[in-house]
Amino acid sequence: MNTQDLRPIEAMVPPFSASAPPVVIEAVGLTKTYRRGTESVHALDGVSFTVREGEFAAIVGPSGAGKTTLLHLLGCMDTPTAGALTLSGHSTVGLRDGELTRLRREQVGFVFQHFGLLPTLTVAENVALPTLFSRRRAAERARELLERVGLSHRQNHRPHELSGGEMQRVAIARALVNSPRLLLADEPTGNLDSASGASILALFQQLNRDGLTVLVVTHNPVLAAAAPRQLTLRDGKLVLDTGPLSR
Amino acid sequence: MHWIVMALKNAGRRRLRAAVTVGGVAIAIAALFSLLSFQRGYQSGMQGELERLGAHVLVVPKGCPYDAASMALHGASWPCYLKADYLKRVAQTSGVATAAPLLMNAVYDSTTGEQFVYQGAEPGLLAVKRAWHIHGTFPTAVRERLLGARIAEKRHLRIGQEFALPGLPGETGIVSGILAPTQGADDDFTYMPLAEAQRIFQRPNQLTHILVRLTDPNILDAVVSDLRGCDAGMDMNVVPLTHLFHTIQGLVNSTRTLLGCVALVALLIAGAGVSNTVLMAVTERTREIGVLRAVGATPWDVFGLIWLETVQVCLLGGLVGAAVAMMGARGIETWLRERLPFSPTETLLRPEFGLFLACLLTALLLGSVAGLLPAWRASRLTPIEAIRQGGGV
Repeated sequence: MNTQDLRPIEAMVPPFSASAPPVVIEAVGLTKTYRRGTESVHALDGVSFTVREGEFAAIVGPSGAGKTTLLHLLGCMDTPTAGALTLSGHSTVGLRDGELTRLRREQVGFVFQHFGLLPTLTVAENVALPTLFSRRRAAERARELLERVGLSHRQNHRPHELSGGEMQRVAIARALVNSPRLLLADEPTGNLDSASGASILALFQQLNRDGLTVLVVTHNPVLAAAAPRQLTLRDGKLVLDTGPLSR
Repeated sequence: MHWIVMALKNAGRRRLRAAVTVGGVAIAIAALFSLLSFQRGYQSGMQGELERLGAHVLVVPKGCPYDAASMALHGASWPCYLKADYLKRVAQTSGVATAAPLLMNAVYDSTTGEQFVYQGAEPGLLAVKRAWHIHGTFPTAVRERLLGARIAEKRHLRIGQEFALPGLPGETGIVSGILAPTQGADDDFTYMPLAEAQRIFQRPNQLTHILVRLTDPNILDAVVSDLRGCDAGMDMNVVPLTHLFHTIQGLVNSTRTLLGCVALVALLIAGAGVSNTVLMAVTERTREIGVLRAVGATPWDVFGLIWLETVQVCLLGGLVGAAVAMMGARGIETWLRERLPFSPTETLLRPEFGLFLACLLTALLLGSVAGLLPAWRASRLTPIEAIRQGGGV
C-alpha cells in the first residue's frame, strides 16, 4: 500500500450533517498496552474513528496489528489503557465490569471464529442463551432468527450435528437475539470453506441492508473487499480508513 | 430455557465424572441418613422397650446385668436361678409396689426348627405390665395359657382352644387369653401359671427373674440400695432398668459419635471432591465462560451458574444416597442387630421422611459450600482472558 494513499485521521470522520445517521461507535485515541515481563507491548496506539448506524466495515491488517484487541475494546470485553470509547451515546470510560456487561448485552452482538456454541444446548437454546442473562423470554425470537438464517429445521439439533457454516449462522442468530445495534465479528469465516464463507458474507450483507451496523475483523480478502469501509491497522495504529463516504 | 435446565445440562456433560462425584456424595449422605435413622430408631426402641416392661427394677441371679436384661426382654433359657423365697424379701422392701416373679424357659422345637419361649407368671404381673390388653383372662388354673399376639396368629389359636405346647412333647394347654399386640417380645411369649411352669421345667421353688415396680420411680436409688443390702442381696443382681438403659444408650451414643465423625469426614471428603471436580470443569470450560461473558453474562451470572451446577450434583447425590439408605434399611438393620450388644425389638432404623428432607438439606448445604470456590474462580475470569486462555467449545 502506498503511504500517499493514507488519509489523515481527521478526514475519516464525516462532517456533521442533520441527515447523518446516529453515531454507534466513537473511538478517541484508544490505546491498549500489555506488560510482557519488563517490556510494554502497545497492542493499540491511539486509534480514533467513528462508525455510524448502518455501516458495514472490515477491520483488516497483518497478524499482530491489533485487530482483535480493537474488536474486544469495541465490544466492552476489555478496557483501554488510554483513550475513550462511546457506544451508542454511552461513554464506557470508568464503567465497572457489570455496567460494561450490561452495555455489551444491550448494544453488541458477538460472532467468534470458533463459533462459541455450547455443546450441551440445542441450536434453539444456543440462540436464546443471551436472553437468559437479560432475563427475557425469547423462544419466539430465537425461532424467528433461526428462520432468518435458514436453520429453522435444525433448531433441535446439537452443534456437533451441524456443518461449520451452519454453526456460524447459529452464532450469528445468537448475536442478534437481544436486538443489538452493533454486530462485531472476529474472523467469522476463518474456520469455514469458501462456499460457507460466501454464505456468511451474504448474511452479513443482508443484515446490514436491514440497518444493522456490522464490523468484521477478517483476513479474508473477499469479505474485506465486500465491506464498503475498511479500517486498516498496522502495529496498533490505524493507518487507513476508507471512510464511510466511500460507501 | 431456565437456569436450572442449563446448569443440569452442563453438570451432565461428562457423565462418568458426574456419576463418580454424585456417588461420593451419595455414600456420605447414605451414611448420614443411616446414622440419623438409627439414632431415632434405637432411642425410641429403647424407650418403648422400657415402657412395655413396666418395671423399674429387674432382679436376676448373679451374672452380667446386660445379658440378664437382654434375656428378660427378648426371651431365652437362663443358666442360673433365684430362690422363690427371695420374692418375699423383695416384695417386703420399702418402696416396692409390686414384685412379679417369673420363670422363663426357651425350648427348641425340632419339628419346626423354631424356638418357643414360655413364661411362668402370677396375676401380679398385670400390675407391672399396665399397658397390656388381654382378650380373655390371665392364666391362673392348670393348663391355662396366655398367648402373645404373634404366636396366636401364627398358630391360628383362639380362646378356649386346646393345643399342644410346641417343643414340649406331651404337654397341652387351653388358650385362656390372647394378648393384644405390644410390638415387643411379649408378642412371641406363651404365659402359664408359675407353679405349672416350675413343674414342667423341673425348677420347683425357682425363678429366673423378678420384675419390680416402685411406688415412686424417684426413690429408685434408695430401693436398689435396700435390695442390695438385704440378706438375699449377695445372691441377687439388682438391676435398675433406667440405669441399665442409660448405660447401654451411653455405649451406643459413643459408637454413634464415632460414626458421626466418620460421616462428617465422608461429607467433607465428598465436598472437597465435588469442589475439585467443578474446578476442573471450570478450567476446561474457560473459553466457554468467556463466550458466556461475551453474550452478556455478568460475573454474578457465571457465579450463579457454576454454583447451581455444584448444588445440583450434591442434591442428586443426596437424593440417591438417602434413597439407597432407605431401601437398604432392612439390610443395615440385620447387620446392626448382629453386632449390637443389646437391641430393642422395635425397628432399629427409622428412615422417616423428615430425615430424608434433613439429608437433602445437608446435601444442599454441602453443595452450596463446595460450589463457592469454583464459582468464585469462574466469576473472576475476565471475558478477554477466558477467551484467550480457554480451549474446548
